[in-house]
Amino acid sequence: MLPFVLYFVTAVVTGFHLYTLLSFAVYGVPVNLLELISLLGSFCLLIAAYLSLFRPHAAARLALLACLVMWSFYAPAIAEIVRTRLAKPAAASLFIGATVGATSKHSFLRPNRA
Amino acid sequence: MIVPYLAAILLALATVYSAIVSFRQKPEEERAGPSWLFPDRTNRPARIFLGIAMLILVIGLGAWFSANSRNSAPRSFRFLIPEGYRGWVRVEFEVPGMPPLPTEAGQTVIKIPPSGLLRTSSPEQYGWARDAYVFYSSAGVQSVPDSGPARLIWGKINGEETGASGKQKYEEFFVGSEQQYKDQIDQPKPKDSSRDSHSPAAIP
Repeated sequence: MLPFVLYFVTAVVTGFHLYTLLSFAVYGVPVNLLELISLLGSFCLLIAAYLSLFRPHAAARLALLACLVMWSFYAPAIAEIVRTRLAKPAAASLFIGATVGATSKHSFLRPNRA
Repeated sequence: MIVPYLAAILLALATVYSAIVSFRQKPEEERAGPSWLFPDRTNRPARIFLGIAMLILVIGLGAWFSANSRNSAPRSFRFLIPEGYRGWVRVEFEVPGMPPLPTEAGQTVIKIPPSGLLRTSSPEQYGWARDAYVFYSSAGVQSVPDSGPARLIWGKINGEETGASGKQKYEEFFVGSEQQYKDQIDQPKPKDSSRDSHSPAAIP
């Protein structure tokens, strides 16, 4: 039962995630070929889940193949996220300092007596 | 937001598990009976039950996705603009008490009054769609070019602003020649208290 649950839940969650990403095409986002390939991997994993009820060893091989196909999308995506998180952004401007002061006419602390 | 992380974690688990099952050698003591971690084939009633349950779930998910994508597919708008109108057109969506927009031949029809401002209770539609623009008069309708050298539609925007009556979703565009459009964006909008604050500025 464990392989069935693992493969099935993984297939459904990854399938839903990829479907959500692909649905952004409605808003003009270009379709990534790796997303489509990965969605195919999700479908194969679903088949592996059913196959695991009959032939666990063959199902594991199919699941491994499907997972490797899906990593073709997830591995670059995770690498990109990690690179973005770890990257130190370059300073776009440099703050040198400011001279604080006020005249008697334009002070925020005292009423205008001019 | 949790779905991508969950998907990556589950994928990693499934990969490791399937790799172990694929390449492991069965130990001698395990040949007597399968363990919970590496089970053998499931018995017949469980197979039938899980097979049917899985089939129902997959069909249900497929139907839900299909219905969801059909409902979320945006309809294009068909703007009916008064013949000879020049200036800004503004459509305000989700205004309580206002009539909904009619639909004709798969397109949502937006008939702009001579004032250039239309309020409707219908929701704004987002997505990829090709809108159509026509001038209407007593003589009939005439297509308005929205691209090319004779283009008459400019500066189309949609947005949401917060006012006294709450959030207001709107869509605006300019009807006129390129020179008229440039003249309009160069000069500030008139502040006329007698005019509706949300009403678009029409060129006389």
